[in-house]
Amino acid sequence: MIAASPGRAVEDHQDSAEKRAIDVRGLAKRYGALEAIRGISFDVHRSEIFGLIGPDGAGKTSTFQILAGVMEATSGSANIFGRPAREMRSQAGYLTQTFSLYLDLTVAENIRYSGDLRHIPPNEIAERAQKYLRMFDMDRFKDRLAGQLSGGMKQKLALVCALVPQPHVLLLDEPTTGVDPVSRREFWDVLAHLAAEGLTILVATPYLDEAERCHRIALMYQGEIHQIGTPAELRASLGAKRLELRTADLRKTESLLSEEAGPDKEIIDVQRFGDRLDLLVRDPDEDRQMVAEKLRSAGVPVDEIRVDEATLENTFVAKLRALGQKAAAVEFPSRHDHSNLHGQVAIGATDLVKEFGAFTAVKNVSLQIRNGEVFGLLGANGAGKTTTIKMLCGLLDPTRGRIELAGTQGNLRSEGVRQRIGYMSQKFSLYDDMTIRENLEFFSGVYGVPEHEREEKIRWVLSFSGLQDKQNQITGSLPGGWKQRVAFGAAIMHEPDILFLDEPTSGVDPLARRAFWTMINRLADSGAAILVTTHYLEEAEQCNRLGMMVAGELVAEGTPTGIKARQSGHLLEFIVDQPQRAADLLKSNTERWRVSLFGERLHVITEESPASAIDQTKKRLAENGLRVISAREDRFSLEDVFIAIVEQARQQGKVVTED
Amino acid sequence: MRRIVAQTRKELTQIVRDWRTLALALILPNVLLLLMSTAISLTVNELPIVVQDFDDSSASHDFIDAIRASITLHVVSWPVNKSPEQALASNAARAVLIIPSHFGRDIARGVNAPVQLLVDASDANTAKLTSGYATQITAAYNRQTAGAMQAGLVQTAIRLWYNPGLSSKKFYGPGVFVLGLSMFPPLLAALAMAKEGEQKTILQVYVSSISAHEFLLGKIIAFMVVALAECLVMCLLLFTYFGLSFAGDPTPFLIATILYAFCVASFGTMVGATIPNQAASMQAVALGGFLLVFLLSGLMFPIENIPAGLRWISNFIWGRYYIEIVRDALLQGGGWPAVWYKVLIVGLIGTIFYGIAWRGMRKMQVKV
Repeated sequence: MIAASPGRAVEDHQDSAEKRAIDVRGLAKRYGALEAIRGISFDVHRSEIFGLIGPDGAGKTSTFQILAGVMEATSGSANIFGRPAREMRSQAGYLTQTFSLYLDLTVAENIRYSGDLRHIPPNEIAERAQKYLRMFDMDRFKDRLAGQLSGGMKQKLALVCALVPQPHVLLLDEPTTGVDPVSRREFWDVLAHLAAEGLTILVATPYLDEAERCHRIALMYQGEIHQIGTPAELRASLGAKRLELRTADLRKTESLLSEEAGPDKEIIDVQRFGDRLDLLVRDPDEDRQMVAEKLRSAGVPVDEIRVDEATLENTFVAKLRALGQKAAAVEFPSRHDHSNLHGQVAIGATDLVKEFGAFTAVKNVSLQIRNGEVFGLLGANGAGKTTTIKMLCGLLDPTRGRIELAGTQGNLRSEGVRQRIGYMSQKFSLYDDMTIRENLEFFSGVYGVPEHEREEKIRWVLSFSGLQDKQNQITGSLPGGWKQRVAFGAAIMHEPDILFLDEPTSGVDPLARRAFWTMINRLADSGAAILVTTHYLEEAEQCNRLGMMVAGELVAEGTPTGIKARQSGHLLEFIVDQPQRAADLLKSNTERWRVSLFGERLHVITEESPASAIDQTKKRLAENGLRVISAREDRFSLEDVFIAIVEQARQQGKVVTED
Repeated sequence: MRRIVAQTRKELTQIVRDWRTLALALILPNVLLLLMSTAISLTVNELPIVVQDFDDSSASHDFIDAIRASITLHVVSWPVNKSPEQALASNAARAVLIIPSHFGRDIARGVNAPVQLLVDASDANTAKLTSGYATQITAAYNRQTAGAMQAGLVQTAIRLWYNPGLSSKKFYGPGVFVLGLSMFPPLLAALAMAKEGEQKTILQVYVSSISAHEFLLGKIIAFMVVALAECLVMCLLLFTYFGLSFAGDPTPFLIATILYAFCVASFGTMVGATIPNQAASMQAVALGGFLLVFLLSGLMFPIENIPAGLRWISNFIWGRYYIEIVRDALLQGGGWPAVWYKVLIVGLIGTIFYGIAWRGMRKMQVKV
């Protein structure tokens, strides 16, 4: 563990006082008896992207509100450029979780209003709005109502509103929740660009692949900061490596190895993905042998074990476990066994088409999902995922094509079929004005959970979401991630054997996400067929099979490993002395999506051979006075593959724009 | 100043964008105005009355003719052999007049000739009116038959001022006008304000350095515009269909109207700022803006009729002062000498609402 490096702070105190843009000392916030922030200290340098990472309820939003000057601290100080945050509001741009846009005003009117509030002359507002809207490729939508924008565009509009007054500090509170991967990557590219121009950015996110793109991150838990450092430092602090284990029998291997795992044991952690297991171990070589030996003696065939770096997610989960956060304490009270269904086609679709007037939302989609399988449907906003799900579960009639659901065709809305289906929609519908318990009682009634099982099921949902002592709280007052857990619990209370989950983990922190997926896997093991959508591709690795949708078509399908293996080209990782300049330079003579900046690391996707591409790139950077510190080929992440697929489809003119 | 303008512009854009609600706010008061002032009537016409004449003399016929001649009462036929109670119970008549058999003889002798009037008092107001008219007709008949014998007694000569035709349009018109103004603008203001809290857009406002005064004034001005627009539309109706016009100096009315617009817009904004929940703040405005103004300001029911224990509340009801100013401007014409302090009170109450809203907002920070 790295302490908040007090030594260094003293050494270059003179220097860092100049560089320091945000300076938080002993900050505390108390709401009645609840201590939301318990004396945190950190500072953010000018031109730095600093991530605040932590589970729901860690105190991130309170920290942001104090820094934005909209809430008073109970004690301690929060300074921006050496002055109290409250006085420096004109220097700070603040993006709230909900974006705080006026949905009934147009894009231009929203920008105008937020500029007027800060005394920016009208002509300058117009000028800067034009500049940023063009930068985000949004100038066509000036006169569109904010309420009619997609999640990604709302986020960009909120950013434009925050940027128009030309702040020196940007405070972003979970800005990418509900935003699709393409928009998210663009957003982070913009952030990297802005930071390089001198803007200081403090960002909170529950997604650790995003945290990788920060210069430094702080891990916050229960109102305290436990670790601060660069992503690499944090990963190294774990002192563990990751083993990727591929085997045909994940379920058996998982249960076998889980028995051996524990914080003090050789295997620190076992995590199950769609087609592999990740083991966190202290000594990769020795443990690799040990695991192979063990599985051989148990008669489990092993395809491959490879050693890799631990991820930030590993670090985060291990850290939180060490701090004592537990998830999903009570075993799911399963009362119905679907294991006899294993292998049957639960959801079958043939040549599914949906037309809305002249617009074809879904084009000839064919899918088969069997009982016992977790299928992930991925796609950018507007790719047709939600429409497809709605058709598959019978909420929407297809224009053409056949659907088979739970062995029936035709009337998909019959009571018999509905009883077997669980559906968690994107904007989940818990009643905000009822208490959590009332919601659960209502839904257990509606979904036909037998009377004698209800209390048990409700208790399980409460324990799963960690809300046992908050069951009488009004649902609307919960943070989004917690609501999501309750909603998930409510959707599976009646033990459906077909489950549709539309962005179930949006806004949910990593540890809770682990609990979600443990539960999803358990349901699949017991015979349920599960269809999941997500915007987070790291999470998509949890699915057995994936389908990627672009513009209403299913363009790729297969296991996560299979899809990655089929992707042409190579991913190169460069560490350069001036990353942003290097990125801008490389983007100037290739398609923009091929170059992306992750903190200090530069990712380039090339179709040429890796060796020659590295040489050429090094040469090109050197010609422009940039020094390459290291270069290597890396494996594609699912996100890289997804972006590449979408961009290639876009080049073929497939992608529907949001016009 | 620029920020107030910006705030007002933004509010007005939002109001216009939600044109359905705006149309409702402008049209509904007029519908209310037409409906209430034509449906509710102060006078009673054509009340059905049954006359049972057991005398059947020329004197009784004369008396019945006198009743027939009245426009207020309308004689319906009823068989003599049927009980008069049935006429009341079946709602065939609101009253029954029974003329006993020796009515004509008694009149001729010059002794008291009693007749019986049975009145359905399930509707107290109509019952009072019916018996009043019946008494008047009887008195007139007496004067006619007794001739000069009655002369010399005190007679009141009644002249109705300000609304000589006792036209209900002229009485209810201004009342509903004030009711409309007290209800719709504050409702919109409260909803807009509560929405900022509900959708967390208020955070964006807090982050900027706009002051609570600028923010509130910007909002209030926008809803004053709505109130004044509503006022204009309703005035058109009052001056045409209702046949009202200024009875005297219109300036107290004009100034009071602007102050009243401020008062109701502040009221709505205050409610929305205190209760950041659209549904709840709507209830609060409905209670304050509608019920209190409707019941306790003398719009419909005279303040004097309110039990003394509750009457003091009406002193705090903003609508009470404004209705008096409006009635003065349109009917009485007393001008500044009659209403100057009421204009001041309207402004004062508005300022109090504004002050309360400002107190809640003055820190421009998240309340914990």
